[in-house]
Amino acid sequence: MIASTIRWSHRNLFAKPLDAVLSLVVIPLCAWALYSGGSWVFQGAQWGIIPESIRVLLVGIYPADQIWRAWGTLLIFGLLFGATLGCVFFLHRVLALGYCLVVAAIALVAVYSEPTSALLIVAAAALALAGWFATSRWENLRRFLVPAWTLGLIAVFALLSPPGIGLWGGLMLSVLITMVTAVLSLPLGILLAFGRRSQLASVRMFCTAYIETMRSVPLILVVYCVWIVLPVLAPQYSVPDVLRGMAGFTIFFSAYVAEYVRSGLQAVPKGQVEAARSLGMSELDVNRYIVLPQSLRVVVPPLVGNVLDVFNAAPLVFIIGLTDFLRAGQMVLANPQYSDRTYEIYIFLFVTYFLIGSLITFAARKLELHLAKGAR
Amino acid sequence: MSTIVEMTGVNKFYGSLQVLKDVDLSVEKGEVMVVIGPSGSGKSTLIRCVNGLEVYQQGEITVDGYQMPREEDRKIGGEKELAAIRKGVGMVFQQFNLFPHKTVLENISLAPMRVRRKSKAEAEANALRLLDRVGLKAHAAKYPAQLSGGQQQRVAIARALAMEPHIMLFDEPTSALDPEMVGEVLDVMRELAAEGMTMMIVTHEMGFAREVADRVVYIDQGAILEVAKPAQIFDAPQNERTRTFLSRVLKH
Repeated sequence: MIASTIRWSHRNLFAKPLDAVLSLVVIPLCAWALYSGGSWVFQGAQWGIIPESIRVLLVGIYPADQIWRAWGTLLIFGLLFGATLGCVFFLHRVLALGYCLVVAAIALVAVYSEPTSALLIVAAAALALAGWFATSRWENLRRFLVPAWTLGLIAVFALLSPPGIGLWGGLMLSVLITMVTAVLSLPLGILLAFGRRSQLASVRMFCTAYIETMRSVPLILVVYCVWIVLPVLAPQYSVPDVLRGMAGFTIFFSAYVAEYVRSGLQAVPKGQVEAARSLGMSELDVNRYIVLPQSLRVVVPPLVGNVLDVFNAAPLVFIIGLTDFLRAGQMVLANPQYSDRTYEIYIFLFVTYFLIGSLITFAARKLELHLAKGAR
Repeated sequence: MSTIVEMTGVNKFYGSLQVLKDVDLSVEKGEVMVVIGPSGSGKSTLIRCVNGLEVYQQGEITVDGYQMPREEDRKIGGEKELAAIRKGVGMVFQQFNLFPHKTVLENISLAPMRVRRKSKAEAEANALRLLDRVGLKAHAAKYPAQLSGGQQQRVAIARALAMEPHIMLFDEPTSALDPEMVGEVLDVMRELAAEGMTMMIVTHEMGFAREVADRVVYIDQGAILEVAKPAQIFDAPQNERTRTFLSRVLKH
């Protein structure tokens, strides 16, 4: 045991003089960082601020007596996420067990502050598990995924709107912006990608100009411009800021989706189109049944990565006065009572963003492997 | 016998390069026509013009009684004629071009359902019958990549036959195959010929050409130099270039 440890360190840490020097610098540095970080997390930090301000962080200034609407949203998203997962990852016993453990851990933390919340979190997690089980077991259900998402988003809008769309905020707003942008920019991006390859010069030029323009300006500019321009275009309606922000994000990210899809379209061999044409299929059918399915399979991983980009770009909506997750954290800190809790809040934001982001990255990588297996 | 493909004075250019030169050719119903020639001679281009995968600039091509639109007409119309022609013309490619995301059964039943508006049950029953005919009924649920090259090419033939074509085009159907798989594909084609299917075949299998063809076309640098019965073309070629080509390919 000791001998093998020494052998391992000799090979991996102290193989050459330079390695030894680097190891001697890096190992104590890491140990020191871990120790001081750990001692702050467990002794110095006052985590009481997180449960005290969790509502603001998660839903912003959404009225407290309407909070059940946010819980309803969580339940709907739980089911939809579960169903989406089930289309890709079969629900093994091990996977289900790990999932239940994670949910139990989160619920335990929540019970500490509020028992009802813990119950609702468990309910959402159970719905997700049910959806996951359903789509991984019965493949016929998978064709309803896109309609289900569309319906789900409409339901969420109907559920959350009554107190006022302007009141949406916090992590909920970040997630909603991401979802709406992801769902709307996919069909738009596909249309733009096909438009860029169109035989019709006017369509081709319009789509190319659109894509290139959007890709050469910053997101924040587009969001701001849309925010200003929409009321000018439709003065008789007062479009809420949240919807204007979502419009800006969708308009911007459609161009990126279009480029991903276009790279997928180019990856489909010419022979596929020729074979379909020689069978007498119309151009629409050739694209719908032969070209698009094959190209989407190639671009699903980058498209999932794009969803992560949208989520990480969501804090930019502060420019039009919205309160997303990051901004909500700053709002909490603006309270003089909490002004010395900067580290606690930002570490909470960091960890949450990191968890969601790494989950999406992990899913994208798994998806890539899954599709590579399928692309025989 | 009636004519199913009629080409008169067909010229085709890639930019300034002329790839088909004044091609006159007619294929009778039930006839098996084999097209031979050196690589780059335009033999693939010739049969790809028959179902409009390649455009042509001058001359006239009539298939199944429909006028194939020329390049400039394709830009502003001609979809109806093109669709009508393609419905009646099946094609088999060198690289098989099966749809990799669909099972063997779906590969065969898709076009009859979408183009001929057949019910799923009918299209699949027909697909299974055709698979049985090419000896692959057991593989219906597999994906193309799970099959050998020869099996894939037989599926591709079944897929083309599912549209009940009046004429089948074969573009070097055995050139991408390992030698031991060439036979199984040629057997299926031989059967088709025996059943009276009209076929235009581009191939390097000279033995097969001699055995199956009713007429052999020799094409070189885009021009048809000789059209004759196989016995005549292989044993007593009239044209000097045909003779050189055949002496080169028949040597081994």
